[in-house]
Amino acid sequence: MMMPPSTARRLCFLSLLLLLLLLAAAASATADAAAAEEFTEELLLRPLPDRKALAHFHFRSSAPPASAAGRHHHLFPKAISQLVQKFHISELELSFTQGRWNYEQWGGYDPMSTNNAKPPGVELWAIFDLPLAEIDATWKNLTHTLSGLFCASINFLESSTAFSAPRWGFKLNEGNLRYGALPREAVCTENLTPWLKLLPCRDKAGIASLLYRPSVYKGYYHSQKLKLKSSQSLGIILDQTLTVVLQPNTVSGKQLHSTGGQLQPSWSMEHLFSKKLSGKCLVSKSSRVFVEIEKGIVDNVDKAGSDVSSNNDLFVLSTAPDRSLKELDNLEVQSSSLYEYDVNNYNSDKPLNVGITWKLPLIWSCTRAPYHASRFLMGSGNERGSIAMSFLSTGLDKQLVDSSNDCSIKAVVFQVVPWYVKVYYHSLEVFIDGNSKAISEVVDKIHVTPSEDKLLPGTMEMLLKFPCSMQLATLTLDFDKGFLHIDEYPPDANQGFDIPSALVSFPEFNSSRSYPEADPLFVSPLLENFKEDGVVKSYTEVLLVPLTTPDFSMPYNVITFTCTVLALYFGSLLNALRRRIGEEERGLKKAALVRELQFALLQSQSQMLRWSTIYFFCWI
Amino acid sequence: MSLIPRAAPAASMAFAGRDPAVISLLKMLPLLLLLTFSSAAAPPAAASPSAVHNNNWAVLVCTSRFWFNYRHMANTLSLYRTVKRLGIPDERIILMLADDMACNPRNNYPAQVFNNENHQLNLYGDNVEVDYRGYEVTVENFLRVLTGRHESAVPRSKRLLSDEGSHILLYMTGHGGDEFLKFQDNEELQSHDLADAVKQMKEKHRFKELLIMVDTCQAATLFSQLQSPGVLAIGSSMKGENSYSHHLDSDIGVSVVDRFTFHTLAFFEKLNMYSNASLNSLFNSYDPSMLLSTAYYRMDLYKRALNEVMERYIYF
Repeated sequence: MMMPPSTARRLCFLSLLLLLLLLAAAASATADAAAAEEFTEELLLRPLPDRKALAHFHFRSSAPPASAAGRHHHLFPKAISQLVQKFHISELELSFTQGRWNYEQWGGYDPMSTNNAKPPGVELWAIFDLPLAEIDATWKNLTHTLSGLFCASINFLESSTAFSAPRWGFKLNEGNLRYGALPREAVCTENLTPWLKLLPCRDKAGIASLLYRPSVYKGYYHSQKLKLKSSQSLGIILDQTLTVVLQPNTVSGKQLHSTGGQLQPSWSMEHLFSKKLSGKCLVSKSSRVFVEIEKGIVDNVDKAGSDVSSNNDLFVLSTAPDRSLKELDNLEVQSSSLYEYDVNNYNSDKPLNVGITWKLPLIWSCTRAPYHASRFLMGSGNERGSIAMSFLSTGLDKQLVDSSNDCSIKAVVFQVVPWYVKVYYHSLEVFIDGNSKAISEVVDKIHVTPSEDKLLPGTMEMLLKFPCSMQLATLTLDFDKGFLHIDEYPPDANQGFDIPSALVSFPEFNSSRSYPEADPLFVSPLLENFKEDGVVKSYTEVLLVPLTTPDFSMPYNVITFTCTVLALYFGSLLNALRRRIGEEERGLKKAALVRELQFALLQSQSQMLRWSTIYFFCWI
Repeated sequence: MSLIPRAAPAASMAFAGRDPAVISLLKMLPLLLLLTFSSAAAPPAAASPSAVHNNNWAVLVCTSRFWFNYRHMANTLSLYRTVKRLGIPDERIILMLADDMACNPRNNYPAQVFNNENHQLNLYGDNVEVDYRGYEVTVENFLRVLTGRHESAVPRSKRLLSDEGSHILLYMTGHGGDEFLKFQDNEELQSHDLADAVKQMKEKHRFKELLIMVDTCQAATLFSQLQSPGVLAIGSSMKGENSYSHHLDSDIGVSVVDRFTFHTLAFFEKLNMYSNASLNSLFNSYDPSMLLSTAYYRMDLYKRALNEVMERYIYF
C-alpha cells in the first residue's frame, strides 16, 4: 500500500532533518570532547616533623592538540603555547627556588621531595624536538624569551659556559636535552607575578588567592615550578606548582602538655596565609584542598589504638573532610592518609579554613632516601682545592636485604662545574667506610666532558655501585682555580663563585605514592603525579668557591703612583738642567741689595710723612 | 592637473614644429617639477610638528647594589608605584633594579620595601615586574635600552618600543659625581655617553619629549653635554653639592629614601590621573633648605613654557 506522495515527501524530509541533527550533535560532541581546555587547581597541606608546615599548590592547564583547536585559547596561556610551537619543545621544566630542602627532616623518599625539592636559584632543562645541530641556537633564544616572560636573568644561560648536555646522568635522552642552572638568582615577587598571570583566574579567585606574598617569602623554603609536556597526541599539559615550607605563627605554639612533652603547633590556613579560601576559580574543572597525614603519624595513631579518622586521639582537623583516601603500597599495608575538601562546597559566606589541632605530643619522622648525599669543599688557598661528595647511609634497607656480596645500591651522580674551577677527573678517589677503594670497584660507568677555558663547563655523569652494608662513602676530586679576565668579574666578586648543585639519583628506588580513588571521573592531577613512577632524587648543596680577585682599585693606584714618580723625575731633571748655582747666588745678592735700598727709601719716606703731619697739626 | 591644459597650448604653440615625443615630455615637465617640489617640501612638514603625543613610557633605573643602598631601590620603586598609579601600565615601564632588597636575607620584612619608617606603604606590592635585574643592570644594557639596539633574541618586554609620539620619563638614582653616574660600583655612565644616547634617540625619532630626573650627588653635571631638542632635565644637586638621604629607619637599619625623591613624591602623592598640576609647580616645590642641596633644572632645550606643561600631559 503506497503512502500518498505528500506524506512520503514530508517523512523523507523529517528523517533527513533528524539525520542531520544527529550528525551535528555527534560532530559537536566529538569536537567538544577533543577540543576542551581544562584547568584544575589543588592545594596540599602537610605537617612536618620539625614544627613546620608544608603547602603545595598545584595548577594544571591542558590544551588539546593544535590541529583540533586551532590557535584560540580560552584557559590555556597563549604565551606558553606560542613558546612550545616556536621552539619545538617536547618537555621543559623551569624552577625558581630559595632555601634548601631539609632532607633529614622533611623526607627524601616521597614524590613531594623527589619532584619539588629543587636546587636554589633557577634551574632550567628542556628537551627539543629538533635536529641536534639546531638545538644550541634554539636554547639561546628560549633562555631570552623566558627571561622576558618571568622577569629573571635566565638569559645568562645562553652562553655555552653556562649549560650542558647530559646524556644519561640527568634524564635519559638522545642528545636533545639541555640543562642549565643559576644558583645565585634571586627569587621574589617579580617572578611570581608573571607565573600567576598564566593562570586563568590569576590570584584573584580560587586557591591562588591565598598567596599572601610576605607569607610565601618568609618561608624556610619556597620553590615555584613550571613543567611542560607537549606531544602531538595529547597536546600541551602545563603543571605549575608552588611548594612552600612555613613556620605557623600561632600563639599556642609552645604549649606543654600535661605529660611533659611539647605539642606540635596547631595551625590553619589562616595562620599560614592570613586568609581563608572563599570559593574556587569558576573556570576550573575541579578545585580541592588535601591534608596529608604521613605514615609516621598514622603509625602513632594506630599504636594509640584509635581509628585513623579526621578526629582521633592525636589530632583533629578543624573542618570535616568531604572524603578520605588511604595510600596503598605494595604490601597492601595502609601508610599515609589523605583528607580531601572540595572547594565547590564553600563560598565567601562560608569560607574554607582547613587546620589541624594536636591533642597529644608527637614525634615522627619522614622516610628518607637510602643515602644522604652532601657535598663540600676541601683545601685552602687561592690556587687549588678539592670537591668532596659524601654518602651517608640512612638505614633504609633494600627490600630483600641479604648479606651476600652482590647486594649493591646504585647511585647516579650528575655534576656540572664552571670552567674556572678546573677539575682533574683523573684524581677521583673513592673511600668506603674510611678505606680507599679502586675506582673500578665502585664506579660502574662514567662519562666526562672536560671543561674548556671560557668555552665549556665540566660535566660529569657517574654510575656508582655501593655495597648494601656500607655506612659512609666519600668521593674526592682535585681542582685548580682559574683566572678570569677583569671584565668577567661580577660587581661583587669578593663574595665568591658558585658551583651549582649536583644531582644524586637512586634508580632502584621508586618514589611513588598511590591513593586509589573511588570515583573514576574525579581524576586529580596532583595524585596522578604522585602515582607516576619516579626515581628517588636528591640535590646536594651549592658550593661557594673564593677565587683570586684582582685589586680592582689597582689601575687608579698605578696611575697615581706613576704620575707622582714621573712628576718627581721630570721636575728634578728640569731643575738640574736649567738652574745654575753661581747665577743664583749673584741673583740673590742683587735682590738683597735692591731690597735694602727699597727699605731705606721707604723708611725715609715714612719719616718725612710723619714730620710733615706733625708740622701741619702744630701749624693748625 | 590644471597646469597641463594651460601648458599644453603654450608648449604646442612654442614648439609647434618639434617631435611629438618631445612635445609630450615638455607637457609633463611642469607637472613633474611641481611634483618634485611638493615632495621636497613634504619631509619637513612630516617632522616633529605633525607628530602627536600618543603614548608614554618610563625607564626607571636603580644603579646601586648592596644592602646599604636600600634607599636607591626605595627611590626607584616609589617612582614606579607613582608612575603606575598615574596611568602608565607595566608594558610601558622598563624597571631596572641592580639588586634584590625585598627578598634579601637581611630584610626583616620579606617581599616588602618601604620608603618611610612608618611602614605604611609596601612599595613592592603584589604586581611588580622587573625587567632588568641584578647583574643585568650595566651601562651597556642601559644604553641599548635607550637606543633600541638590542640583539635579536632580546624579548619585547625588555625593549623600549617608543616612537616619535612618545613622552618618556627617565629616572636614575644611585651614586654619582662630576659628570658621571656609578653603575653597581663597577663602571660609570658619563655625561657624554648619556648625551650621545639621547642624540641617537632623537635621530631615530624615539621620543617626542624626554624628561630626565636624576637623584645622585652632583646630578646637574650629568646634563652638561645634552644638546638634543625636546629634553627637559631635573637634577637633585648642583656641581660640588651632595644629595642627602631623608631619614634612617632604625627597624630596617638603613636610610630608606633620599630627600629629592621624598619631596618629589610628596608633590605627586597629592595628584591623581586627572590633575592639572604643571611642571612649574613641581620646580617651585623644591625648597633648598629641605633638600640640603639646590635642585637644578635645564630648560633651554625645551620649547614650551613650563607653566603650560601639565603633569597630566607628561603622564597621561
